[in-house]
Amino acid sequence: MKISEQDKDIIQLLKTDVNRGFRIIVESYSRRLYWHIRRLVILHEDADDALQNTFINAWRNIGEFRNESALYTWLYAIATNEALTLINRRNRNSTVSLDDIRSLLANSAEGSTWFDGDEAQIKLQNAILRLPEKQRIVFNLRYYDEMPYEEMSKVLKTSEGALKASYHHAVKKIEQILGSD
Amino acid sequence: MKDLEKITNKSPFKVPDNYFEEVSNRIISTAAGSEMQKKPARFHFRMRPFMAIAASFLILALLSYTALRIFLPTEKTPAMPVLSLQEFSETILYDIDIYTLEEGIEPLASYERIPDVSDSDIIDYLILENIDLNDIYENL
Repeated sequence: MKISEQDKDIIQLLKTDVNRGFRIIVESYSRRLYWHIRRLVILHEDADDALQNTFINAWRNIGEFRNESALYTWLYAIATNEALTLINRRNRNSTVSLDDIRSLLANSAEGSTWFDGDEAQIKLQNAILRLPEKQRIVFNLRYYDEMPYEEMSKVLKTSEGALKASYHHAVKKIEQILGSD
Repeated sequence: MKDLEKITNKSPFKVPDNYFEEVSNRIISTAAGSEMQKKPARFHFRMRPFMAIAASFLILALLSYTALRIFLPTEKTPAMPVLSLQEFSETILYDIDIYTLEEGIEPLASYERIPDVSDSDIIDYLILENIDLNDIYENL
């Protein structure tokens, strides 16, 4: 996979000035990673926690980052793990389950304080929340982030074929749900 | 895909105003107070003292073995005389007399008949084995 010029510069900077390099990583990636996490955990407060944990984790392990993988896939992998850890903790503690969030979404009117979509987008989010965890991640990465399967396979440590099949099934299920509503 | 195509893939969630500026500063200041993990020493570095001890023992054992080989008397078997190929073949041939050779060759030269098997049976068998007819008649 091709490492972007920006990533190359950051990696170079990390070797000479790790603090400045890390600041640039946070400024460059916080937005993308936030949206990736937010689509998985839905609630802003949870996404905020997971995002912070992602970067702290990245900072602690920055010495372990190897040049052969792109910074982008390394950060996405950490962010995905943080989001899943948070979802699992939420399920274990029975605080706010995905079902609660789904009903919250269903009742959410346009122009609410945390949701900015129209009715079709609310329906789509509801359908996505009904997917199994792995399919949900694959669907989000492909549909919203438009991540190539090659990169996705590095983030999720799954073969490209399995990811394509997963996305195909996810789309079918979502269309079924959207059609039945 | 038709239903999905109608829906925009723009993220439908909202974030508080100036969230991204604020979160970047917050993360950087939290990271500043948090230690970076020191790289754990690689396996061979951690094992270096043990490897040094093992190497010392190995060298000591080798030195002892070499010393024993040099200083202890050993029974020596007489060395084989070094012969060239021609000398060797001549020696072997001179040791064998002509009678021994004839005795050895005779069973091969004589034609041994197989009881109850006629020549025509043998010819049929050889033809079946794709042996050339001329060769068969020459050797009969």
